[in-house]
Parts: sequence; structure tokens; C-alpha cells
Amino acid sequence: MNTLDMALQRLQEIAANPRKILDGYLAQGKKVVGCFPIYVPEELVHAAGMIPMGLWGGQVTPTIAAKYNPISTCSVMRSCLEFGITGKYRGISCAIMPMLCDTFRGMSAGWRAGVKDIQLAAFIHPQNRNDTYAQYFLTAEYRALAARVEKLTGEKVEDDKLSASIEVYNLHSKTMMNFTQVANDHLDVVNPIIRHAVMKSAVFMPKEEHTIAVQEIIGELNKLPKHDWKGKKVILSGITAEPNEFLRIFVENNIAVVGDDIAQESRQYRTLIPDGANPWERLSGQWMNRWGCSTVHEKQFSRGKMLVDMAKDSGASCVVICLMRFCDVEEYDSALIIKDVKEAGLYSLCLEIDQSTQNNEQSRTKLQSFAELE
Amino acid sequence: MSEVKDTPIESSPLPAPKPKRPLPLSRQMVNEQTAKCYAEAWAAKENGEPVGWSTAIFPQEVCEAFGVPVLYPENNAAAISAKHLGDPFIEHAEGAMGFPINICSYARLNMGMADVLDNPDYKADPAMPRPDFLLLANNSCTQLMKWYECLSEALNIPIFFVDCLFNYYEEEPAFYKVKYVRSQIENYIENMEKFLKRKLDWDKYLEVQKRSQINCQLFNEIVDLNRRTPAPMSGFDLFNYMSCLVLCRGKESTTEIFKQLKAEVEENIKNNTSTFPGEEKYRVHWEGIACWPNLGFNLKKLKEYNVNAVMNGYVTAWDVRYAPGDLDGMAKAYQTSSTNSLSTPTIMNKRVDSIKNFGCDGMLCHVNRSCKLMTFHIFVGREIVESNAHIPVANFDGDQSDTRIFSEAQFETRLQGLVEIMKEQKEGAV
Repeated sequence: MNTLDMALQRLQEIAANPRKILDGYLAQGKKVVGCFPIYVPEELVHAAGMIPMGLWGGQVTPTIAAKYNPISTCSVMRSCLEFGITGKYRGISCAIMPMLCDTFRGMSAGWRAGVKDIQLAAFIHPQNRNDTYAQYFLTAEYRALAARVEKLTGEKVEDDKLSASIEVYNLHSKTMMNFTQVANDHLDVVNPIIRHAVMKSAVFMPKEEHTIAVQEIIGELNKLPKHDWKGKKVILSGITAEPNEFLRIFVENNIAVVGDDIAQESRQYRTLIPDGANPWERLSGQWMNRWGCSTVHEKQFSRGKMLVDMAKDSGASCVVICLMRFCDVEEYDSALIIKDVKEAGLYSLCLEIDQSTQNNEQSRTKLQSFAELE
Repeated sequence: MSEVKDTPIESSPLPAPKPKRPLPLSRQMVNEQTAKCYAEAWAAKENGEPVGWSTAIFPQEVCEAFGVPVLYPENNAAAISAKHLGDPFIEHAEGAMGFPINICSYARLNMGMADVLDNPDYKADPAMPRPDFLLLANNSCTQLMKWYECLSEALNIPIFFVDCLFNYYEEEPAFYKVKYVRSQIENYIENMEKFLKRKLDWDKYLEVQKRSQINCQLFNEIVDLNRRTPAPMSGFDLFNYMSCLVLCRGKESTTEIFKQLKAEVEENIKNNTSTFPGEEKYRVHWEGIACWPNLGFNLKKLKEYNVNAVMNGYVTAWDVRYAPGDLDGMAKAYQTSSTNSLSTPTIMNKRVDSIKNFGCDGMLCHVNRSCKLMTFHIFVGREIVESNAHIPVANFDGDQSDTRIFSEAQFETRLQGLVEIMKEQKEGAV
């Protein structure tokens, strides 16, 4: 096995075994903080000397979570609650949850009622970002969040440490965006499953460590000759695009992923933390600059055009919406995205993602039909 | 057999339709007020003046003071759904427009309507004119923000947004949260002045604030009258007067309606009568938005089982209380008045107090497919109610507008079950 294969295999293993990774951190005496999707300021956790780990649920049929979750709860949140109640996240010091949608508003109580061993540190982003006090509010909210986390973990955030963590995170974001570019020249190696593993492993690893791993992969890829991909190319959009059984349909049909707007993947990395003297304001400034996301209010809907531009820039002929079941914010956007994509003369596909009862046969039929198009 | 054979057909006509009870004066006044609001909006539109569409718990005081007509899509969707006229709009939103079935049915209905506003065949009852601006407060839910983004995009009109945040814990809103909301109200006034190209009359603005407080206070007093046993009102009556607080919270005509309603309720108390059409054997607390398309069926069954839903938390969502002139107070009130702006423990402990105050024997919860957050409150809050109020809780599935969710059989079965437990508890208590 060569260096590239070994590096990719390592990230695949990490992406597939978060519990093992968590146990490793705990065995080393490290404190771990769970971070719900998306836009949790992980830098605060990092600066406090703890490990931020993403909580993205997993393939499970929730049973006990149904006590606190109506059936129409977003699929990823139901599995998170199921894992929380059944002890899959045991050992985590606390969990940070952003109030980005109605499911989070409800889950903040559901989690507190059902998961007694992992305390919740909730916070909220301002949505009216044009207002004079929006960033002032978020800066204060981040400080309040840090105080909450400190109360639950005993670990404090110092300004200089936060500044250093911001640099770590910005370097990681740049590295990830670089990877998505380099990967497009090597679609024979970086298939949709491998691409996803590189992305997903980031949510479970310290970012400085992940940066080194991805930089190594980029270095090895750059040593290879560019590959001329003859199959179809697509852009993925949505909250998550998994499990591997779902992505395998892309591989089987010779469809490459050449860009993504997946919340678990690139969506987190495309907006850097701005420069500045005050690290708290820098951190809140990142939210003020975010765009093209279902959880971020904008004066004008930019996501459809963003996806069209991404497709055109990377030679993709189709935007695939990986629609998380019962994710209402994504459901609203999906209708507008499809309209913009169609108007641009591109194909669009809407495939359902459901962590509780993932059945890929509809997706298979749609992707097979797309693959057969001239 | 011979009796049937001998009976001439002419002698067994269909029973004459039951004459409708005349509406009480207060209801007639509500209908007139609502019709006037819509007429004024249409008249403004025809005169080339701006018309707004607003979310239900927005700082209405500003546009009321400006004298700009504003209509409320949530209220409109409820009215259309109660008349069973919503399906074509919902179908249009899901079909031609491609919105998924899982999003809020008020949103689907309204976005479907918004897409056909310029269609010469456009008709609805009540019909809203094309808006020129949108007023958005997300204190009821986050879906409102997405819904209004879609409207803004489709109609190419601006949104005036007051982000009310969400109180995820049980503590009072921190000062920096109030400051952010206050700032938005101030900026909204400034931006509306630019949009309308005229200045706000601050004296009138203060008057509207005072009037709004009088109306909220009066409504609370009326609701409180239902604490009496037996209740002077069917709890469902309260749904009929909510439009006054949504559409006309700052208007004097609402004061007149509430005074009349209060007099009617007091008359019932004096005469020991009630608008509840059955015998009130059980008193329940209703949780959630009404099943508007099934309101009649729900009331019929409640009557059949002698259950009066004497109180419901939904109608208290417009209890936006502050001291007139206190902008921080107003900001905080809009942050905390809605059921859905508060954490589940906060809201469900309020329900516990209300259950005790109104002497309820049970709680009947509408698991509304459209309203995720209210449904979360019900799922997580059930334990709070059962352990703190010591009453049985029953859920049923339904929807505020989508007619495909509610099941008459399930509603009756769940109600029966609740009645049985309430009966046992009452008998056990004797």
C-alpha cells in the first residue's frame, strides 16, 4: 500500500469509527465537547484545550428517541438523540447546540429531558445580520457560550489561545477547499466515497492533525498525472451525503462529485474567519460573512446561483440535492434551487437522505437514469 | 313490513335543516372588522398605495401608526382552511412550485396563493391583494423566515425583519439580546420611513401602543372569565376572536368588540348559561393551533362527550405586554410572548399554572404536522404536565390546514380514552 492509499485509508477508518476515536481521546485524559451541526464555534473548545467532536447521528432506527421527538423530526437530530439517550456519546463533557431551526428549538428541550449525563450548552446566531447590533449580539453570545462551557467543563478560554485556534481553523479551512480543487484532477482516485471520508473525518479530529493528514494527501495527489474523467460530474448540496451505500451508487454509475455544498463537508469551510485584533469579534465576523446556506438569512436567495456557478466552474452537468428527511429549512430551499438550476440549463436531482430507514432504491433509479443520459 | 309498505313517500321528507344560531353581536363585529381590513387593503392597492403582509406576532404598532394596511398570511390561511378552500393553493405549491409536503401548510397555502395573485382567475375567501413589502418576526418559528424568504424572492419585494431570537433556557432574556431586538425595531422604523417616504407620527405610535395594551388586557380578562365552573364560553369561541389580536391589536374597534364580548360572557355568568353546546362534565386544556378544517367536527365530538376545552395556550400568544413608550419592554415582549419563542419547560410550566387556574381535568394536544416546535413542546412537555399538574394528557394527529392528516376516528378514540381516564380520576377523587 502506498503513502496515498494509507493516508486515505486512515481517514476512512476515522470517519467510520467515531466512538473508537472518542474512546482514544478519553483514554488520553482529554476532555471532549460534542458539537451539533452546524456553525458551532469550535474554536472556543479548541482554545480551551479540549477536543471538539461533531455530532452527526448515524444510521440507526430510533426507538427511545421517539418519546421526545415527533416523527417529523429531522432525521439527523433523531439519531443524535437516540445515540445520546442510549449512551453512544458517553464520556463527552458537554454538547454545544446552535438554535438554527425549529428542530433545534425543540431538541434543546428534548436533549435536556432525555440525555441526563451530557449537559447542553445552547446558543443562537442572529439572523438579521444587517442590523447594527447583530455582530455585537453574537460576540456577547459567544462569550456567554464560552462561560457556559467553562461552567460545565472547568476549562476557560483565554484571548491569546483563541487567536491561535482561529489560525488553526483558518488553515484547516483553506486546506479543505484546496483538497476539493486538487481532488477534481484525480477523480479516478478520489471517488465520492473517499472524498466524503476525507471531509467527514475532519469533524472527529483535532483540526491541526487533520490539516496535516489532508496536506499529505494533496501532496501525494499532486505527484500523480491529472486524470481525464470521462463519466458524469455532479455537485452535491444538502446537510449530509451518506452513508457509503448511498455514495456507492454514484461510483457504480461512473458519477464523480466535483464540488459540494454539504453542511457536513465544504459548507463549513468556504467562509474564513476574518482578520482583526479582537478574536471574539473575528469569530462572530465569520457568521456575518456566511452565505448560500439554508440556515442563514439573506436579503436575496444566493444559493441557487452559487450552485449553478459551482457546476459551471467544475464542468458538472447536474446539481444533486441530498435532501435530509424532515429538514424543513433545506426543503424550502430545494424548490428554489431546482428552479435556478433548471433555468441555467443544468440537470437537478433530489435524493432523500434518511438516517433511520435509508432505502437507496429510489436514488439508484434516479442516478441510473441520469447516468444513461447522453 | 306492512307499515313500511303503507307509508307514503311524501309523508317522510328529509328533516328540515337545523336553523343556524344567530351570531352574537361581538362575532358580527369581528366579521365586520375583518372585512373592513381586507377592504382597506384592496382600496389602498387600487390607489397605488403600499400594502404589507406580516407574520402574526410582529411589532404591528409601527404600521398601524403609519396607517398602512397590513394583512396576515397565517390568519388568512386559517380563515381559508376553516372554509375548506385551501386545498387548491396547497396542491399548487406542492405541484407546480415544487415545495415538499413536509413544510408548514400555512406556508404552502400562502405561497401557492402568492404565485397566482396576478392570475385573472385568482380568487380566495378572503382574498389578499399583492403585497409591496413583508414584515417578518421569527418569534413563532424559524419556518416563517424561510417562508418569507421565498415570498420575497417570488414577489421581488423587501422584508422588514425583526429577529426575535429564541429563549432556549428558562432565564429572562439577557440585556444584549434585548438591545439587539430593540435596535431592530428602531432600524425598522427608520427603514419604513424611507420606504414610505414619510415620517412616523410618534404621538400616534404611542397611542397605538396604549391601545394595544388595553386590548391585550381586555382579552386576558375575558379569557379569565372562563375559569368559572361551568365555563360561560365554549373554549373554542376564543379561536373566533384571535383575529382581533392578530389583525387589529392596535385598533379601537377591537376594544369595542372585546367590551361587547365581555358583556356577553358576563351575561352568561349572570344567567348561568354558556355558549358551550353540551353539558360540561369535563374541562380540558387544549394545546396547539386549531385543526381549522376540522373545527366543526372537533367541537361536535367535544360536545358529544361533554368536554369543554375551556382554555388553550395558543390564544395567549398575542399577549404582548409592555409599558407604552418603553422600547426595551416592547423588544422583550416580542421576544417572549409567543409559545414558540420560549423553551419547553418555560411554556409547559405556564400551561401547568393555567391548567390549575382553569380547573382542567385533562389536556388534549393537537400534534400538528405543520408546527414542529409546538409538537416538540407536547412530546417533551407531557412529562412536565403529568407530574406537575397530575392530569391525563391525550394526543391526536392533525394539521392546521392540510386536510390529509387528521383522522376523525383517531380523534374520537383518543378523546374517548381521555374521557375514560378523567372519569376514573373524578370518581376516584369522590
